[in-house]
Amino acid sequence: MSAHIDGSERRPTGGILALSLPYQIVAAVALAALAVLACLHLAMVFLHVAPSNTLTKQHGQAVDDWIYPEFEQNWKLFAPNPLQQNISLQVRAQVAGPGGSHVTNWIDLTAQDAEDIRGNVFPSHAQQNLLRRAVDWYGTAHDDEGRPKGTRGRLSEEYMRRIVLLRIEGPGARADVGGKVERIQLRRVSRPVPAPHWSDEKNSTQSSARVMPWWDITDADRARTETSR
Amino acid sequence: MTAPSPDPAAAPARVPLDRRLAKAAQTVTSRSLGPYQTAIVRIGFALTWLLFLVREFPNRHELYGPDGPWSFDMARRLIADNRAFSVLMWSDGTLWFEAVYGLAVLGALAMLLGWHTRAASVVFMVGALSLQNRSVFLGDGGDNVVHLVALYLTLVRCGQVWSLDARRAARRAARDEKRPELAGPVLWVVLGGFLVAATWFSPVTGEWWMYVLLWVLWLGQGLWWLVEQYAPGEPRTLLDVLGHLTHNAVLAVLMAEVCLIYATAGWYKIQGSRWQDGTALFYPLHLDYFTPWPALSDLLASSGIMVMLLSYGTVIVQVAFPFTLFNRKVKNVLLVAMMLEHAGIALLLGLPAFSLAMIAADAVFLPTAFLVWLGTRAARGRDRLLRRTPAADLPPQRPAGEDAEESGGGTGDETAPRTLVG
Repeated sequence: MSAHIDGSERRPTGGILALSLPYQIVAAVALAALAVLACLHLAMVFLHVAPSNTLTKQHGQAVDDWIYPEFEQNWKLFAPNPLQQNISLQVRAQVAGPGGSHVTNWIDLTAQDAEDIRGNVFPSHAQQNLLRRAVDWYGTAHDDEGRPKGTRGRLSEEYMRRIVLLRIEGPGARADVGGKVERIQLRRVSRPVPAPHWSDEKNSTQSSARVMPWWDITDADRARTETSR
Repeated sequence: MTAPSPDPAAAPARVPLDRRLAKAAQTVTSRSLGPYQTAIVRIGFALTWLLFLVREFPNRHELYGPDGPWSFDMARRLIADNRAFSVLMWSDGTLWFEAVYGLAVLGALAMLLGWHTRAASVVFMVGALSLQNRSVFLGDGGDNVVHLVALYLTLVRCGQVWSLDARRAARRAARDEKRPELAGPVLWVVLGGFLVAATWFSPVTGEWWMYVLLWVLWLGQGLWWLVEQYAPGEPRTLLDVLGHLTHNAVLAVLMAEVCLIYATAGWYKIQGSRWQDGTALFYPLHLDYFTPWPALSDLLASSGIMVMLLSYGTVIVQVAFPFTLFNRKVKNVLLVAMMLEHAGIALLLGLPAFSLAMIAADAVFLPTAFLVWLGTRAARGRDRLLRRTPAADLPPQRPAGEDAEESGGGTGDETAPRTLVG
């Protein structure tokens, strides 16, 4: 495009000033619309990450509708306080055998994860997140008495059974119990990290366990096809 | 932001507000700002996601496959409720799963190299969202930031420099080549087929705006090509203006997003008793899931003073960072501190993907002078490695038709050839 001489100034070859009025109006409308959209989006993200406040109490639904599911975010890792206990999930299973079924000892699934992570430069999500986050989710999807909260609660139980079965049943499993699992029982053990040696704080180092009821295992809890793995 | 004038006698008189507004409007409509910053963000996130996908290749069925613990049917039930977008919900076949995983890898690779960046950014986003939304209970902060940035990058011109696109454009300009290039239109037609399929499956997965976004991106590319061929005058300039505007708006959102991440992480920590008494860091160093090197963690955790300094330092840096953007030097110092901390986290807490993603996000605030220097060094290293003469056949990569030196990531870097990081 040749440079136009417009009065004393050279006319730019790009940008809004290079356009004629009708095109300039389109560009100006786009500028205004994008500015509003960007500000609105940032306001929504801000309200999503901010603590509950006057605005979110009145318009929380609008914020949620905007944010979920694709713009969800949680940056409260180790905040307000870091996790101060090691939580492990243990399982024992009733296994069918030739002379009737027997119950195994407690198997520590989290200890398997910890072992896989030790000395690992790039731990897999399968070692670091799968079980850990499933246990977290199970906790939030159940009430204090251990009853599932709605669909998500039941989904989290199903998820837990499938994770456990993959680890204890079959020749490829991390801790094969050597037979067909009929029932499983889980327990969640919390071991508080002892206070640092330089601290005079005396927090309890007593570990506590929460034992869940026995669950029957059905074929729905197993991988759909054996060949696909 | 204006640079301090070197000659006080030449200090400009007060420019009236309307003139300054006009100048700002001209700037955001005539240039895609931060070409080097957006390129390093593109490269950083593509590399993070690519490394992650390669790392998880042996575990892909367990993590995202139709028969993994989070089964296809369970994902279907959850997505029917939350409307997340995942092309993996189109079919529960193993073949389809392998194809999507493969496409996610290819998308990340194309994004890394800047090969047809506009199309690659969409494939990259679809790949990342499809896998992550398929198994939402697997992710951590690293996945979260990849998810957000992948969405934003579909609207950011992140291939202006350090990309195969830029190299091709420079070569074509040098040869004065006018013949339209073929791979682009072919890619466009193929992706159009995918888009029709996606729209067909839209009742199964994804909110309405996702399809609007995908169609706008696809039609926009088609329109761009048509206008380039047949209407190179004002319509072409208008499209350019709209492109610059979108880029600049989304870049601003991306930068604000990074600030919000640090602000949230910092301000919530301030309220925690462990961060207040300076022992916070001690606890993650004793969590089984975050101690790949127990001896190293114990060594660090054995010193109370060290733990306190690092705990306090983390909070101070995170809370302060957004405010330091108003001062280039302080910002650069904090940027280095944050990048080093994330590098430490990668090793110490065993979170390399998370750390790399956060470093890539931080990079949006790196000064242009440093990035240009880094690019030159990288090119020299590559030439030495390949034992060839320095890229003499190529003109230096510069964003077309603009003065790159002036476009620091919101800071006036143009006056400083060497910054604190450079």
